[in-house]
Formats: sequence, structure tokens, C-alpha cells
Amino acid sequence: MTTADIRYFDLAIGYAMLIVPLAIILWYRIPIFSQTLIAVARMTVQLLFVGLYLQIVFRLNNNWLNAAWVLVMIVVADVSIVRSTDLRIGMVLQPLFFALLAGTTIPLLFFIGIILRRPELFEAQYVIPIGGMILGNCLRADIIGLKTFYGSIRKSEKAYLQMLANGARLSEAIRPFIRDACQAALSPTVASMATIGLVALPGMMTGVILGGAEPTTAIKYQIAIMIAIFCGTAITVILGIRLTLKKSFTAYGSLNHRIFKKTK
Amino acid sequence: MKQPPAIKIDNLTVRLDGKDVLDRLSLQIETGEKVIFTGPSGCGKTTLFRAILGFIEPDEGDIFIEGTQLTPESVWTVRTKLAYVAQEPDMGTGNVREILEQPMTYRANIGQRKNLSRVPELFDHFSLPRELLNKDMGSLSGGEKQRVALIAAILLDRKIYLLDEPTSALDQAARQTVLEYFQTRNDLTVLCISHATERIDPNQRIIELCSSSKGVDR
Repeated sequence: MTTADIRYFDLAIGYAMLIVPLAIILWYRIPIFSQTLIAVARMTVQLLFVGLYLQIVFRLNNNWLNAAWVLVMIVVADVSIVRSTDLRIGMVLQPLFFALLAGTTIPLLFFIGIILRRPELFEAQYVIPIGGMILGNCLRADIIGLKTFYGSIRKSEKAYLQMLANGARLSEAIRPFIRDACQAALSPTVASMATIGLVALPGMMTGVILGGAEPTTAIKYQIAIMIAIFCGTAITVILGIRLTLKKSFTAYGSLNHRIFKKTK
Repeated sequence: MKQPPAIKIDNLTVRLDGKDVLDRLSLQIETGEKVIFTGPSGCGKTTLFRAILGFIEPDEGDIFIEGTQLTPESVWTVRTKLAYVAQEPDMGTGNVREILEQPMTYRANIGQRKNLSRVPELFDHFSLPRELLNKDMGSLSGGEKQRVALIAAILLDRKIYLLDEPTSALDQAARQTVLEYFQTRNDLTVLCISHATERIDPNQRIIELCSSSKGVDR
């Protein structure tokens, strides 16, 4: 069983399906019409570009090139995370890079080396799609985790300072804020693990089935990727907070407001 | 050997937004002294407390607590000698009992955990109904919050109190109870910010932080 290809002409016809949502947008005058057109155009160009690039990467299947591609994906995700938070890029880009690097590569290499038992850890067929799935989820979780942590500590700064005044060490005073941030960041993955298969067929499973594998193989991949994603997001969120602490708190333990783009 | 002063401040300067809020302030407070800080709004009273607690890094000058200079290394130990009650206390979320218990989970306060048995007695002393213990902190009135914050500070059993307008939301009777509590404790050093001249002790010192913010003993 092989995957049936889509001809470019047929794909172009596929764009016809856009008529429905665009008509709804126009009919109800939802103010996202031009935004939608730009998003569709961007999606097309970006994916065509990545498709062409990946074609080359897959053909060459060079371990160094594959690892470099994963690294590029991590750098892009890193910049995207910082842009989505209120934090200054120059102060947190580097620590968040290392958090993402650890959060992506640890479960990725465990997946490929221990679960799949592949002789080559950086085989394009595995490292790029699995790495992309883990990284995408780490990105989403890290944004939620950092926003929750820094947002709540900034909002409750008086309560935080009172904890310090009451004799708390830095690690003790930030503990409730870390707990809330981790809960907010990890809950979506926990919820999707609890409902997976019931609500929708998950992405990886669909991909493996379309690739011609048995559904049982697809299920095993899906279970492994869900665990890898959960592991990766947990590592990224906790390291993302921990590694930025040195820049975001003064030596006396108070919040360093220079870490925020807009200071109060 | 002579005991070091409870608090010694040498030439303390704090600039905020380019303005000298405290300008070369020097003062010494002996153990057991009761000191009232007065002065118009913005003259640096709260800033002084924040500097003593290490929440603000001074631009110049030094702070010594019981002989220990305040530095990034010593601040964590120094804070365990101080009890701070903010003007509008924000003790976090949860019910009152949890709020009072939380500081006892910090490593520095493990020895004070036994003081939680004093909570009912302190509630009675400060005329707070015991039922409040199970109420959410957010549902308390300003005066109740102030008294809970005071009780939380007392439970920590520190020797130096920094009280930022601790009775501003209290009625006359409750205010008197608070003042009397500190009057009877000769072992405690109390620094109290007040717009009105509170009477904590017959021998209390009043320091007016004036516009130059150098501090004038009255």
C-alpha cells in the first residue's frame, strides 16, 4: 500500500473549498478576510518552500544536514516563543534556546534510538517529522508556561515580595508560580492524551496510515509520540522558566522589570 | 561586648526614575527602640523599608541589620530577622489558615511552626472572629487583612518589625490594641511608618523624612 499522490492541478481545485469559509466571513462581515487570504498565501508559499527543501534533505539523507535542519527549526521556534511573550528578546533568547534544545532532542533521540531502535539517530525520515511534532508542541507549551509564570508573578508582585519578607528563599517564593505555569502549559497535552482517538484521529497516526502502514503500527507510533511530546513539553517549560531566572530576578530576589518589553 | 544596633544606615541614597528619593540618609536604631517615621507622601518612608528588606538596591550607602551588612549573599539571612507588614497587605490567595501556615513551610521558619498554636489566642487578642480562619483572604475587609498580616508577622517571632501604616484601616479600639501589643514588648525593635503620630512607646523616637530625605530626629 503506497500513498496516492495529489496532482498540482487537483490541489489547485482543492482551494475551491475555501469558498465556504470565505463566503461566511464576507456574509457576516467578520473582519478577517484579508488576514485569511494572506494566511492561505503564506501557508502555500511556506509549505512549497519547505517541501522542496525537505525533498533535497530526504534525498541526501546526510546526518549533519538533518541535525542542522532540526537546529534551524529550534532557532525559529525560539524566536517565535520570545515574540509571543512580553519578554525582551536579548535577555531570554539564549536560555530559551537551550530549554527548547533539551526539550526537543532528549525525547526525540529516546524515540528514535530506544523505541524505534534505528541504527542512525538522525535519519531524515524519522528525525524531521518526529522532531517537528515534538518541537511544535514544546513551542506552544513554552509560550503558555512563560506567559503564565511571568504574568502572574508580575501581577502578584506584592504577594511575592511578602513571601521574601517572610523568609522565603527564591526557590520557595517562586514555587507556587512555577506550579501554576506548569499546570497551564501541560494541561492541554494531558487533556489531549485523555481524549485521543475518541474525538479525532491524531496527526501522526493519520500520517502513518496514509504512509501505508497497518493501523496497529500507527497506534504504537501515536502512543510513543504522545509520551515523547509530554516529556518534551515538561522539560522545555521547566527549563524555560529555570534558565531565565538569573536574568529575571535581581541578586536580592526581587523581580527585574528590565526583562519585560514594557516596564511598569 | 557591645551589642550592635538593630539597624544602622550609612549615607543611604536611593534614586527612582532619576529622582533622589532618599539622599545620604544615616541613622542608627538600637535594639528595643520604637521609631516612628513621618513625613509627606513620596518622601521615601516606604522606599526606606523596601531598601532595608533588599527589595530595592541602594545607589549609594550601606545598611546593617544587627551588625550584618545587607548584601546579595546576606539578604536571605537578614530577612529572617525582620517582620514586615505592608500598608495594604497582599498575602496571596487561599483561606486565612493557609495564608498563616504558608510561611512556616519555608526552611528558615521551620522552628517557628509551633507558633501556629498561638493563632486562636492572637485572633482573640486582636478581636478577630475565629471563623475568619476558614474564609478566603480576598473576602476580608481592609482592617481584617491588616490584623491577619500583623498576626502572620507575630507568628514569625522576629525581633525587628517594619510596620508600614499598620493601623490605617483600623478603628480606634483595634488601633489601641495593636499599639499596646508593641508597647508591652520591650524586646522588640519597631520601625513604624505613620502619617498620624502613633504612640507606641513613651520613649519612642520620631524621625521625619523631609523633602531632602536625610531624616530629622524630632
